[in-house]
Amino acid sequence: MTVEQHQREIETAQHRHARHQGMEAGEVLDTVEKAFAGNPQNMQYFYDLFRDVYCNGIKPHPGKEMIGTMCVQIPDEIIHAAGGVPVRMCNGFYTDEEIGGEFMPAKSCSLVKASLGMLKSETNPYSDGIKVIVNPTTCDQKKKAAGMMREMGYNVYDMELPPVKESEEGREYWRRSVRKFTHEVGKLTGKKVSRKGLKQTIKTVGLAQRAYHRLNNLRKQTPVPILGKDIFMVTNAYFFDDLERWTAATEALCEEIEARVAAGHNAAGRRSPRIVFTGSPPVFPNLKLPLMIEQADGVIVADETCSSNRLLNDMVSVDEWFMYDMVDAIADRYLKSCTCPIFTMNDDRIRRLIELYRSFNADGIVYQAFAGCSVYEMEQRSVAKAMEKEGIPMLYIETDYSPSHSGQLLTRIEAFMESLKARGRHK
Amino acid sequence: MDYFAGIDIGSTAVKIVVIDEDRQVIGNKTAATGALVYKNAQTAFMNLLGEIGLERKHISYLTTTGYGRKLFPDADETISEITANAVGAREVGKPFGTIRTIINIGGQDSKGISLDENGNVTNFAMNDRCAAGTGRFLDMAARNLEIEVSDLGPFHFKAQGTPAAVNATCAVFAESEIIGLLGNGHEREEIVQGIHFSIAKRTIRLVKRVGIEELIYFDGGPALNTGLVAALEDELGRRLVIPPLPQITTAYGAAIIGLESHGFEKQERAEVGEAVVVFSGHGCQGCSCG
Repeated sequence: MTVEQHQREIETAQHRHARHQGMEAGEVLDTVEKAFAGNPQNMQYFYDLFRDVYCNGIKPHPGKEMIGTMCVQIPDEIIHAAGGVPVRMCNGFYTDEEIGGEFMPAKSCSLVKASLGMLKSETNPYSDGIKVIVNPTTCDQKKKAAGMMREMGYNVYDMELPPVKESEEGREYWRRSVRKFTHEVGKLTGKKVSRKGLKQTIKTVGLAQRAYHRLNNLRKQTPVPILGKDIFMVTNAYFFDDLERWTAATEALCEEIEARVAAGHNAAGRRSPRIVFTGSPPVFPNLKLPLMIEQADGVIVADETCSSNRLLNDMVSVDEWFMYDMVDAIADRYLKSCTCPIFTMNDDRIRRLIELYRSFNADGIVYQAFAGCSVYEMEQRSVAKAMEKEGIPMLYIETDYSPSHSGQLLTRIEAFMESLKARGRHK
Repeated sequence: MDYFAGIDIGSTAVKIVVIDEDRQVIGNKTAATGALVYKNAQTAFMNLLGEIGLERKHISYLTTTGYGRKLFPDADETISEITANAVGAREVGKPFGTIRTIINIGGQDSKGISLDENGNVTNFAMNDRCAAGTGRFLDMAARNLEIEVSDLGPFHFKAQGTPAAVNATCAVFAESEIIGLLGNGHEREEIVQGIHFSIAKRTIRLVKRVGIEELIYFDGGPALNTGLVAALEDELGRRLVIPPLPQITTAYGAAIIGLESHGFEKQERAEVGEAVVVFSGHGCQGCSCG
């Protein structure tokens, strides 16, 4: 070896990671944009948003006080009312999962590994402005992640969630947890949550939910006017986009999709099976399974995941616009409607799935479980049993963020689509 | 006469079947998949056509299946190996009755498929990212025991003592496991039997996820291994239907699907009207312009 060779410049780990992340995001965006014909024009806003943040290094919310949230259960309304910007930090990057894999047990879930990996890597788009990370006491892995985040030097707030949601004790426990959070978050941001402020943010978040409902309801149509991959892009953008800008962009998209419905436009194929997607959440850029389904001539018409439908479906219902009533109403909206498998009993999830299957006129269900997400893996049995009883075809797929077994996954998905089509012919 | 070809491009071998309008197998071929998947499959296909005295233009419809199904650009249709396997088993199993469960062990995966009375797939399970209990595992074991894969069956029946307890959960660690057993003084026959029972248990656990109903059909290359067949039957307590050529069921199913698709297309053309019928009456063959 010559001295010159020895002095070859080595790319820094940080730079290499940023480059790989950009490549990963870019590849998925290319598929989302270019592998499908006839994307709605108003989707461009969302495609560009992801490209800016994940490929072009534009950091969201410059100069603003960002509050990281690690779960769909952290109330946005309260964070907004305290002058903070909630940013969901559940992460979908395989490059980050690999970093998380260096200090997490091998059999832990991709999402937790990737989220911690992102926080560790310091190339994450939010590294500068995160005031505090609000972490729920949901599954064991998320709970224990709190300690690791503290070790990394982040300020972490434990949001306590009960493991039972049916009991009055559980409900009261959670209400107290939300009341405490309302109090504490104001101290963190320096802006106290006021009655007027909270009433206003319940309204603004409600408007976003209304836009989502308007969009989501259009998917009940036959033929289906929009593909599921685009819906995941819209709902995933809600993780970090400016709330009002997101609402406006979604409303604009609704206008276009309504016109498509009026024109009888079909976004899918002539015989595409209609799919309800459930289980571990697809988070950009891990849209692996949704994209595979739609590239195999299926179409996702509804979902039951915390990165999409569960994020925006249920609204706050307030009796009287006083502080104590609003906060408790927010607490109830988050707890009662939650169909996360971390609860001891989760019959609500089965009911929700059957209802989605029927009201969206679906042909089958695809259930994704991240390897290592023991609660989704365990709940597979009871859900499969219930669906079999109802005569609803369901495909269960255990996977993670790695692209290595896509050939086998595709075989299963195609076989499932073929069996749904054959079933459709015999109906 | 129209002919139809099904090509099953698996992880280890390419299987090709050509059938006629009466669903009779005119010829079949098995070749190694290798790294140049398309080239090897194409060569094997052309060789088979030569052997049976046909040309490419005589094949009215070509269907590909298996992991490499998308790597064969001139296919008229691609279909997943699960559907193709089901169709093939339904046809081949007809003399025995109605096939309701398929156990398939391939080069790198194993599957359980359940069918309804009409032969449609109702459920399936596949192992994933693990070569334990697959053809590759048997390959590895035979190599470590310094015997041929075709000896595995005869060795199974020659075992004197109890079958050795083999874990067989990992193809990579199988080598050290086998060396350990040999070191402990086990006969090779006992080890072979142990491996077969271990694979049988593992496979049945997988297939139980879709439910096991009579008749049960077992195919894929490892179905040629009479020892493994016996182990599966013993563990299940039931007889299995083993086709004469277990490797080619899926390719045969793909050819049948091609025959049916070709029939649909012809029918559709006839329904659309004369203009199109005239067009197809030119003896236009070898392309998929229909």
